Amino acid sequence: MSIHIEKLNYVYQSGTPFSHRALTDVSLDIADGSYTAIIGHTGSGKSTLLQHLNGLLKPTAGTLTVAGNKITPETKNKELNELRRHVGFIFQFPEAQLFEETVLKDIAFAPKNFGKSDEEAEDLAAKMAELVGLPASVLQNSPFELSGGQMRRVAIAGVLAMEPQILVLDEPTAGLDPKGRLEMMEMFERLHQQQNLTIILVTHQMNDVANYADHVLVMEEGRLIADSTPQEVFSDPKWLKGHHLGLPQTTAFAAKLADKGVPFKNLPLTEEQLAAQLAELLAGKGDEQHG
Amino acid sequence: MDKMLLGRYINGDSLIHRMDPRGKLFLSFYFIVIVFLCNNWETYVLMTAMVMLFVKLSDISLGFFIKGVRPLIWLILFTVLLQIFFSSGGHVYWHWGPFTVTDSGMTNGVFVFCRFVLIIFMSTLLTLTTTPIEISDGLELLLKPLTKIKVPVYEIALMLSIALRFVPTLMDETTKIMNAQRARGVNFGEGNLIKQIKSVIPLLIPLFVSSFNRAEDLATAMEARGYHGGEGRTKYRKQEWKRNDTIAVILFVVLTIALVVLRK
Ligand SMILES: Nc1ncnc2c1ncn2[C@@H]1O[C@H](COP(=O)(O)OP(=O)(O)O)[C@@H](O)[C@H]1O
Ligand SMILES: [Mg+2]
Repeated sequence: MSIHIEKLNYVYQSGTPFSHRALTDVSLDIADGSYTAIIGHTGSGKSTLLQHLNGLLKPTAGTLTVAGNKITPETKNKELNELRRHVGFIFQFPEAQLFEETVLKDIAFAPKNFGKSDEEAEDLAAKMAELVGLPASVLQNSPFELSGGQMRRVAIAGVLAMEPQILVLDEPTAGLDPKGRLEMMEMFERLHQQQNLTIILVTHQMNDVANYADHVLVMEEGRLIADSTPQEVFSDPKWLKGHHLGLPQTTAFAAKLADKGVPFKNLPLTEEQLAAQLAELLAGKGDEQHG
Repeated sequence: MDKMLLGRYINGDSLIHRMDPRGKLFLSFYFIVIVFLCNNWETYVLMTAMVMLFVKLSDISLGFFIKGVRPLIWLILFTVLLQIFFSSGGHVYWHWGPFTVTDSGMTNGVFVFCRFVLIIFMSTLLTLTTTPIEISDGLELLLKPLTKIKVPVYEIALMLSIALRFVPTLMDETTKIMNAQRARGVNFGEGNLIKQIKSVIPLLIPLFVSSFNRAEDLATAMEARGYHGGEGRTKYRKQEWKRNDTIAVILFVVLTIALVVLRK
């Protein structure tokens, strides 16, 4: 279920006085079972790129192949349904998409649309509700009675219930408290590990990029300006700063230590890496003192 | 949906942009009234020349105005055809059952077409050169005398400006929710009638819910900042009557006299 994008261009409202170029010659590959983070400024074209992945937008020029489905500017809307079944898409503030009478029915909506029977769909829905951490007691409630965080869980369960092979997340934790954010990111990580789900995450949280992703894409003004790994991207704080991007907390802290003369082999991305490197350095020092 | 042009403000600094919104509002309505004075070639040519002059003065390309006509083109053609086939009088070119095509029918058809286009151009001119907030402020000021007979002018103006303000927001919201439901397997505008009606529910309910939430937030925010309508409320944006407004009014007076003289 890999993704291959070649020279993708997109122009909003093409052919009107308001036309606006949002993507220019974007080419990239995303491997099966990978965890890709897309970072970049607001307005850099991240959401526009994502919407191509399940055919919500069709390229103005260029092609993309997603899970074996080829999309070109000429692709018919009818052909996109097959693609959407494989690609789960969680939008920014997904709780806006809730509409059914009960939580259970709302979660079962997508699988029903993709051809599951009512019974199968509701079984799936109950399973997904548990997966995202919704208590069974709310399944028969109206989704509009829930708290904001719970509504978001319902919406996410509603997308997971499609059993997609590719999960596209557009700033899924925006507006959540730190605890909710951590729980949600851990949940996506579990799905990624257990079901070998391919995840594509748009985020402004560099910590999440460092903690979870194995592939990073950096967008700027509609162009792809970096296609690499978190390790590599975060090893160059100057370059990041030049493009108005930050570092993960841990890396920023380590960079400060490095400035003070602590000799890191490479800048650590996560707390574990930092701890390990510090322990190694301290142990080394201890030996010197003893010796 | 992004293509909707009617009612979209285009920033600019032309003579028309700089007119007092009250003047523009009043003259636009007045224009619609006097279009109905036209009843021969001379009068229509005169009015068309006037509108073209205003379009030129607004510094906005003619394309925007023509796009404004497009959504109404079927209504216009239908009315024109009614005129052509069902008018009587004058020389008969063609006759079949209830249908007759006469020379006066043809002329009437052309006139009706011109009338539609003139009115659309003029109202498009108003909305292209005036921000929604200016329009509702202007309307409030124009209608102010009606508060004497207990018409809730302030409330009407407030409702109008809130409605106008939220049109683009609501359109964005619609696109977002349609996308989210498409990703969940809804096919808008496909399948049989029942299917299509059903597909509207996942769109309308979230839209209603978010509109109500937004209305509540807006009310709270307004109250928190001490909003009270009407009496004694001052305005941040002052509307000033300037020289070009007076010139425009004089132009319209002359135009009216010319129309009365020229019409049959
Ligand atoms: N529906 C639209 N119509 C016109 N322009 C749009 C639309 N959506 C986004 N854009 C423009 O396209 C560019 C990229 O937007 P987007 O993909 O949403 O960026 P990001 O998700 O990185 O913040 C921005 O300049 C934005 O203003
Ligand atoms: Mg975005």
